[in-house]
Amino acid sequence: MDFSLGQREEALREEVRKFAEQEIPDGWIVNFLDEESRDDDWAFSLSISKKLADKGWLVMGWPKKYGGRDASCIEQMVFAMEAAYWGIPGLSMGVSGTGWIGPSLMLYGSEEQRLKYMPMIASGGPDGIWCTGYSEPNAGSDFANIQTRAVRNGDGYIVNGQKVWTSCAHRARWCWLAVKTDPNADRPQNGISLMIVDMKSPGITIKPLLNYTGEHIFNEVFFDNVRVPAVDLVGEENRGWYQLMKSLAYERHSFGGQSYGTGKRILHGLIKYVAETKHNGKLMSRDPIIRHRLAENAIELETLKMFAYEIAWKMSTGIVPIYESSRNKSFADHLLEQLALAGTEILGFSSQAEQHCKLARLKGLIQRQYLMFPGTAIAAGTDEIEKNIIGKFKLGLPRSY
Amino acid sequence: MNFNCTEQQTMLRTMARDFLIKECPKSRTRELERDQKGYCPVTWNHMAELGWIGLVLPEQYGGSNANFMDLVVLMEEMGRNILPGPFFSTVALAALPLMEYGSDEQKSRYLPPIAHGEKIWTLALNETSADCNCKGIKTAARLENGEYILNGEKLFVPYAAIADYMLVVARIKKDRVLDKGFTLFIVNRNKPGIDVETIPTITGEMQCRVRLKGVKLSETDVLGTAGNAGNALGRILDKASLLKCAEVSGACQSVLDMTNTYARERLQFGKPIGSFQVIQHRLVDMLADVEGLQYLVYQAAWLMSIGADCGEQLAMAKAKANEVHQRVALSGVKIHGAIGFSMDHDIGLYYRRVMASKFFPRDTDYYLEKVARGIGL
Repeated sequence: MDFSLGQREEALREEVRKFAEQEIPDGWIVNFLDEESRDDDWAFSLSISKKLADKGWLVMGWPKKYGGRDASCIEQMVFAMEAAYWGIPGLSMGVSGTGWIGPSLMLYGSEEQRLKYMPMIASGGPDGIWCTGYSEPNAGSDFANIQTRAVRNGDGYIVNGQKVWTSCAHRARWCWLAVKTDPNADRPQNGISLMIVDMKSPGITIKPLLNYTGEHIFNEVFFDNVRVPAVDLVGEENRGWYQLMKSLAYERHSFGGQSYGTGKRILHGLIKYVAETKHNGKLMSRDPIIRHRLAENAIELETLKMFAYEIAWKMSTGIVPIYESSRNKSFADHLLEQLALAGTEILGFSSQAEQHCKLARLKGLIQRQYLMFPGTAIAAGTDEIEKNIIGKFKLGLPRSY
Repeated sequence: MNFNCTEQQTMLRTMARDFLIKECPKSRTRELERDQKGYCPVTWNHMAELGWIGLVLPEQYGGSNANFMDLVVLMEEMGRNILPGPFFSTVALAALPLMEYGSDEQKSRYLPPIAHGEKIWTLALNETSADCNCKGIKTAARLENGEYILNGEKLFVPYAAIADYMLVVARIKKDRVLDKGFTLFIVNRNKPGIDVETIPTITGEMQCRVRLKGVKLSETDVLGTAGNAGNALGRILDKASLLKCAEVSGACQSVLDMTNTYARERLQFGKPIGSFQVIQHRLVDMLADVEGLQYLVYQAAWLMSIGADCGEQLAMAKAKANEVHQRVALSGVKIHGAIGFSMDHDIGLYYRRVMASKFFPRDTDYYLEKVARGIGL
């Protein structure tokens, strides 16, 4: 066993810190999910994406011929942790592209698809922005129940149906869409396919779906006789469910590292705050309850770090993480919740001040986290679904639903 | 970065698991709870023959010269099989301190019999109102004509009733004033003035009360520096608590395995209880606890094995071990239902054992405070 980082990773960490100091304004607190809401935030995020692409960081793990630089899994994990720590935007690129569409194309896309779409994502431009069409009004956790239909018609498909909670659809150039291609399959899982849809296609309507803070992250997306060329089917027809399980593992695998970075940022913010702030005449950092609460969170954060490195290391040996991704996401979501709540206890009544208000402490970091964690905990699979996956794939327990 | 065990560690793990299941089945563990000796001398000798007792001791003292990580792997397996006996007290609480702080003469004299399984050792630390804070330690060694006269009372000394030697933590008294620092004494348990009494416990591990009345010791019985063993004791307890964490980690893995198996076999409402999400999610929480603890222990042990500073990581591992041990053992009993509460089932052994590990050498709050300081509070 050896848990040390190499020189290359240490150097990368330092370089990311310098980049953040140079490029990210003090007090920039916009989360992973919400950079696509306001036009100015989005423009800034895209400008950073471009710089990240130029640095070779945006899709560092991809092969060179698709626009990456073959970085190791450990390097990628270190980058994810550091970038989240410094709050670097522009990495989600409309959530989907860098995280799982590229890796999914590498797993089961055609070479033509890889060469067409991956360099666009890698360049960090607006043509590399994707949304992901999985959820529907009656297919949330029960994803196999999707009703959006794609019917073969000549050299293409005709798509009809509705997606919901589609992050970034209003900014996206492409949609990574899950559709039902065989409604009569023996199991609903056996009738699902994945396809790439041009968001400029006639017949697509996007309606904003504001979240509870009034931000525009989600959308409803309606497909009305949208024509999709057959070459844009990804992988095998009706094998979409099985392909997607792998995609989701990829999507979830990096959450551990990102959440570690975010969590560490919150913890460091709180440590600094209690060291500088007096409450009822006493320095908060002297209060044993506060000390222990932060220590407990630091321990869980250290655990998350090990989980994140474990996944990166396993992937570097060729293992596709299934239960590990779900474990890390569930663990990380719970930890971010605990940290946000610990933060509200420490800030006390200031926790209710709006992020940009003068009375907001820590530049609104805690409020932001308080508002966002329920959302991130649901995205890409609820805690309960993640636990079902772990129960089945790791513990060998019978399917319960 | 590498999360794999070495080939040697994997072999040791497999061998230890097979050996312990064969030589010390749970039925034997139960018998030993009621046994006066509290351990099995036959198994002890086999363990010595396998080179386990002297695993990390140098070859010149009869050891196998293995790495600290190897010992961590072995401790995990002992915890997994909940082996009762003086392995931890002899190796972690005495052999490692002797190796690190003993004079050449002390090492040559005491280490080979340990490695050969001939002598059992322990550490006498706790007192009525003290663990490892010097202020609370009242056991005193009075210096008289070049001799130390030891007086005091130690509590919860593991396996003292069967030990041949003890390391005793005391303070030196000169002119009625107690030294500010600790001294570690090597004490032959058969010396006059030593009275050992077994304390009945709920854990299946032997604990003793040791009364020291006018026990005479010489200068050569001092381990390390007299009056200045505070740092040494700290380091000794660090290493030992890390090995205790490894033992706890192994125990938690075993509880998870046993409980998972039970949940798949036990039928209620016509189905295995493991098909119900309430049970599944409890098991999944146990898994995250178990794997998280394992990695924190490995990280601290790896740092220690390469000689790096690991104070903060160790404190994290021990605080986590305390929490996880308690939580996992309790979930294990609960998922087993009534049978988990019965004498007939093994899961209760693990739950009872928690109390033997949780407060060694100190409680969770102590480690949380250490973590708090480590993160800059």
